[in-house]
Amino acid sequence: MMIMTRREFGKLVAAAPLAAGAAQQQRPLYAINGVGIGLETFSFHDLPPAGDPRLIPTIISNMREIGIGECEIMSGHIEPWPTIATGWWVQSRRAPGFQQLRDDARRWRLSVPMSYYTNIRKQFEDAGLRIYLYNVNFNETFTDEERDKTFEAAKALGAAGFSSSTVISEARRLVPFVERHKMFVAMHNHNNLVDPDQFATPQSFETALAMSPYFKATLDIGHFVAGNNDPVAFIKKHHDRTVNIHVRDRKRNNGPNRPFGQGDTPIAEMLRLIRDEKYPIRCYLEYEYGSFRSSVEEVKACLEYCRRVLA
Amino acid sequence: MSGVLPPRAGVTLVVVVAAALLSSAQTPQRTADAGGFPAPTPDLERGRTVYVLSSCHFCHGVDLTGAQMGATDLMHSPLIAGDQNGNLIGPVVRAGKPNLQTAMPSYPDLTPQEIADLAAYVHYLRRQGRYRELMMDAEEQGDAHAGETYFNANCAACHAKSADLAGVAARYPGAALRARTLRPSDDPAPGGTDRTAAGRLQHGKLLERYTPADVRNVVAFLREPLR
Repeated sequence: MMIMTRREFGKLVAAAPLAAGAAQQQRPLYAINGVGIGLETFSFHDLPPAGDPRLIPTIISNMREIGIGECEIMSGHIEPWPTIATGWWVQSRRAPGFQQLRDDARRWRLSVPMSYYTNIRKQFEDAGLRIYLYNVNFNETFTDEERDKTFEAAKALGAAGFSSSTVISEARRLVPFVERHKMFVAMHNHNNLVDPDQFATPQSFETALAMSPYFKATLDIGHFVAGNNDPVAFIKKHHDRTVNIHVRDRKRNNGPNRPFGQGDTPIAEMLRLIRDEKYPIRCYLEYEYGSFRSSVEEVKACLEYCRRVLA
Repeated sequence: MSGVLPPRAGVTLVVVVAAALLSSAQTPQRTADAGGFPAPTPDLERGRTVYVLSSCHFCHGVDLTGAQMGATDLMHSPLIAGDQNGNLIGPVVRAGKPNLQTAMPSYPDLTPQEIADLAAYVHYLRRQGRYRELMMDAEEQGDAHAGETYFNANCAACHAKSADLAGVAARYPGAALRARTLRPSDDPAPGGTDRTAAGRLQHGKLLERYTPADVRNVVAFLREPLR
């Protein structure tokens, strides 16, 4: 299994550059005071469209400018069409032309050579960056062959595993795949508390974690708080099964995203808990509050907030 | 302003509006920021501020196109078509949609003024987008009879082919007639006589509701010689 132990994680962050300043321009940041830092590429809201040849270079350039070395990259940033074409949003499946888009996506996935992915990996590595997680939203529109190919794609990208906005019923289907490929899938939550198939509560995570040791958690602490759950209690209980957290700040009661420090999410408490307990949990910034500034500027502001609370 | 706007937003708003006004005074060029292009009036810019700082643009698009993450397509949503000054938009925005797969957040702190500003901006974007969309259909042929039926139901209270619209097809050849039908005035700002203001309001509502066939048919009716 490719998830890191606490000792391996310690080696990684010890080797990572910590200081700000000129050195940061040369070597991207991987950790702050022992806490693994990365970003979710969803944070970049102003990218070229899916399939545009400038897309990957722009992500790399943004990460270099921000100075963060590690990411969880969305399939919509890897594959040549937006994520909406691959069936995650139930509403999108009702759109005219969806079936054609979905069939096209499947054909592409089953025929694309692995060199497509290794070339992307090389672009990241040449820039001193790393794709740690491949964010694929597995769902019932995937065929088994497509699931297999997607695991192969993640390996070719150099990812340790997946983060996935999926559902419990799909997790059941994924059990033989994670065990055959020996690769983890970390379930990502939103805050739909009505649909029992969704990941939104501690119980929903625990249902999946019981299915396979290869199932992990990508805890989105903002969404978790918006669903009136306690992310600190979750991490204290499940730190050994949590790969990363998505760091965002939302208000309770399905409230909106806010700039870091202005919502109800205990970001500072979470980061300090992970630092003090030396949990091998990566903290990935996810920018989604409203702003007139560019995504790069706002992710920098998010990073500065984390630096302050971890100082 | 309170509600959705965090403490720094007041300053941001002043800066943004001031920058927009300064910019428009210096040059006709408008420069886009992460929330799209500055709006053409201070009132609409207030609405854009609410739209952007509430992150609406991430799911619904900076110009209402390219809705993603399961979000409603506001360019074609019947709820937006039926909204007046935020009476339908406001309750949805305040309550959010917590039961969606990726929930729409709630914005209970928005003030009535912010809701009204937001709604005005959404309607503005929709009219801009619907105009572009319907103009792209300019080559299609319509059914003049169906156009007459539509005209009598929606236009005849203010217009008549034998009176103010006499010779209109000759005055606006080609796609110009379609453009003039969709948007008789290019000026989005309020003003003019009560009659022109009411006309602008009514044409704005129609622009949000036309189907492509409605427009094709009305244009065909206007082109048809008087019987």
